[in-house]
Amino acid sequence: MAVAALHSGGIADHIHPEPQGFVRRYVFSLDHKIIGIQYLITGFVFFMLSGLLAEAIRTQLLNPSGGFVAPGTYNEVYSVHGSAMVWLVVIPLLTGGFGNLVFPVQIGARDVAFPWLNMLSFWIFPVAGLMLFSSFLMGAPTAGWMEYPPISLQGAAGTSMWCAAIFLVGVSSTITGINFVVTILKMRAPGMTFTRMPLFVWGQFATAPLLMIATTALAAALAALFIERQFGVPFFDPTKGGSPVMWQHMFWFYSHPAVYIMILPAFGIISEVLPTFARKPIFGYKLIAFSSMAIALAGFMVWAHHMFTSGLAPFLQLPFMIITYLIGVPTGIKIFSWTATLWGGKIHYTTAMLFAIGFVGLFTLGGITGIFLAAIPFDLHVHGTYFIVAHLHYVLIGGSLMGIFAGMYYWFPKMSGRLLNETLGKIHFWLFFIGFNGTFLPMHWLGVMGMPREVATYDPQFTFWNRFESVSSYLMTFAILIFFVNVLWSIRYGKRAGANPWGARTLEWQVPSPPHYYNFKHVPTVYGLPYDFSQPLPYSGLEEELTDSPPPVAAGAH
Amino acid sequence: MVERTAQPAGLGRGFWAYTAILTLVAIVSIVFWYVFPLERYLPAAIVTARQVDTLFRFMAATGSALYVFIVGYLVYFAIVFRAKASDAPDAIGIQIHDNRKLEFWWTVIPVLFVVLLSVVSVRIWYEIELEPANGLVVEAIGHQFYFSFRYPQINGEVTDEMHLPLNVPVTLNLTSADVIHGFWVPAMRLKNDTVPGLVTSIRFTPRLAGRYPIICTQFCGVEHSEMDKQILVIEDKDSFDRWYKGWQQKNANASNALPGAGGAAISLQGGDAAAGKLLFSQKCTACHKLAPFNQTLVGPGLEGVLHDSNHPNLVNGQAANPADVASILENGYTGSMGAMPSASSNGLSPQDIANLVAFLNTLK
Repeated sequence: MAVAALHSGGIADHIHPEPQGFVRRYVFSLDHKIIGIQYLITGFVFFMLSGLLAEAIRTQLLNPSGGFVAPGTYNEVYSVHGSAMVWLVVIPLLTGGFGNLVFPVQIGARDVAFPWLNMLSFWIFPVAGLMLFSSFLMGAPTAGWMEYPPISLQGAAGTSMWCAAIFLVGVSSTITGINFVVTILKMRAPGMTFTRMPLFVWGQFATAPLLMIATTALAAALAALFIERQFGVPFFDPTKGGSPVMWQHMFWFYSHPAVYIMILPAFGIISEVLPTFARKPIFGYKLIAFSSMAIALAGFMVWAHHMFTSGLAPFLQLPFMIITYLIGVPTGIKIFSWTATLWGGKIHYTTAMLFAIGFVGLFTLGGITGIFLAAIPFDLHVHGTYFIVAHLHYVLIGGSLMGIFAGMYYWFPKMSGRLLNETLGKIHFWLFFIGFNGTFLPMHWLGVMGMPREVATYDPQFTFWNRFESVSSYLMTFAILIFFVNVLWSIRYGKRAGANPWGARTLEWQVPSPPHYYNFKHVPTVYGLPYDFSQPLPYSGLEEELTDSPPPVAAGAH
Repeated sequence: MVERTAQPAGLGRGFWAYTAILTLVAIVSIVFWYVFPLERYLPAAIVTARQVDTLFRFMAATGSALYVFIVGYLVYFAIVFRAKASDAPDAIGIQIHDNRKLEFWWTVIPVLFVVLLSVVSVRIWYEIELEPANGLVVEAIGHQFYFSFRYPQINGEVTDEMHLPLNVPVTLNLTSADVIHGFWVPAMRLKNDTVPGLVTSIRFTPRLAGRYPIICTQFCGVEHSEMDKQILVIEDKDSFDRWYKGWQQKNANASNALPGAGGAAISLQGGDAAAGKLLFSQKCTACHKLAPFNQTLVGPGLEGVLHDSNHPNLVNGQAANPADVASILENGYTGSMGAMPSASSNGLSPQDIANLVAFLNTLK
């Protein structure tokens, strides 16, 4: 009864009129969907920039003696490439971008809990991004995205700029995390219990506490590094009594959970795309949701597996190895469940579905090599080599980026009202898939055979495979160019999507594309899981959404 | 509803035939990893390198078999269950939500596998950790941008190649003079960082003669990429002894070399620790703290220099003992680790040196 009362009126239907000016509507917007799009646009701009840096890296490595840029410049290039891809591309796209765009609608909320904080967290992000790229003007950081002291204490002024920029991105992430946790806990529509939430929401719900908690460790580390560089307070310099290994603990206490920040939302995207296009419920809903939470929790207990060569006491290393192995179990459950979701389906091969299936195949390889790296004896061989580079790109491109592309093809209608072009999309997928594997697969054996990472020149015995990788990476870049052309073309000329072009069953597809300001004319009531295609939709209160009736504006709205 | 639902395909003959093919492919991939001649491409220079290869073969074999099944079924389902032109546009798949039995087993089997893998890797980890600790002690020190090596009976540093005798257990102590480097010999399947202010050690026994590259794996500055040119030479005992004597000779002849152990002629009898303490505060504290060795001013901290077993060797490569400390005080030191004035430029009498050594001996 309480549920019905809430649904038929009261506070939940208090709608402010949509702001009219361009600035309030599109620039300093409070609407989570606009903020999501702002995140996506900004993130993809930084993606292009750091993608160009990646091509500079591959061009340098065409020859064993380098020669494209000077070694010092090369070090700046890969350091900014790594930092930008992690903090300005993958994390913002998956949390601020798709998170903002999609999950509040999926839980039947009108907006996130704190729209002003949401706007603040977005606007910190481009400022921080520009600061990071501006570090090139004063000598960018050179010690990779990890910036281990003491070498990072020797870096040019740009390293301090890097600290400040990443600190700000961290503030933005933390705010987003708080906002998402509160929104999911407090603002679900009536009847949207935890076990009825779509899996993308579960992905965000597992990620948001990581953003909130882990980022604080990074912020402390960055503040210490900045203070040491600028004011000489010795946190990390061993000649003054500091500890360089302390940085590694603080950094990885953030950066290992950050790995899950970068993959759990992508798991969520895949878990939405697969059932929609297989016309089947997701297999093992509860276990997938539970395993996301298990991965998030265990993610805090494995950071030192990045530090097996750093001189930790040997016995302390063992629990980190075994807990890391154990993370393979919930991850494996997800992979098995996604595979089983395809069984008995009626699979429609849209581009989003291709990316989702490609994700399962490539991420699995990255997951398996992750187990290799957790094994201390083998890690002592391949730590700091191209094997690591291969592993992390299989997880971050084969996993996170494939998830982002799947999400883009899937939810583009909810941003623009139009579909992305499917022909261009399929060309994009296949070229990207081939180029990606050509670039990163050979790195596995290069690393095992003796090629260290972060080098501007290398042993000539590795020339053939490095050239093979560079040429493949050009193919991958060309595929991404096709994607950008597709987006720009489809915004203007793409096919109109209508409310629900994919026949999907989550809430965001039951409202127009793009959804109205405030998402719902009346907040719906939810009666069950969205994924059973043989049942009627488990929602009520949506009857007016696709009609022309005006939204109810509360008396006294200002 | 029923007519737009696909007929349950079940696990028909096609599925089991395909599973048989996947099983075959998985077996082939397992066999591949166990017969692949790893050592032809990367020799196993130390005993435990082969254990690491064993672990690698085990993980690569089981990992490939698992991957064959996952990707195999993924592709199979993706093809078999594609929507066909003959299907109704609103055709849907089989509406199953879960299968308790299946989920139980694909949780339990991976857990059992984790247990197995843990046992295998802890055993191999033990074999690496249990390498004897009483072997030949060698030090490697990371510098921007080379490693230097120190040996017990060679005064000063060896900076071109690292030589080790066959079949003799080695304890390699690692530290750094500046930033973090990574000491990696791919043929040893072993690496450890050289961390400034920290001495870490790895233990191993060379088993195969040869010349193996030493590579830095931790970014250490602008010439990091060039820090892969030094060589580890593993050779038989005779060649090693010849090389060792040659370096002893060479460094003993060098003008700034220090007398070796037993070469110091200073009597340490009658050293007065109290007088030494006063002298230390007058002559030494500009460069040395009474703190652990990693708290450097100009030179290292000297707390426990004669007693702390974790204290690195002296600049002349010797493990710290009173005679060598006295000889450094007498002769001073100039080299890649810095510079220290000699007794004559410092104004120290032989009695002063005896007093200082007595004082340092009280620092535990």
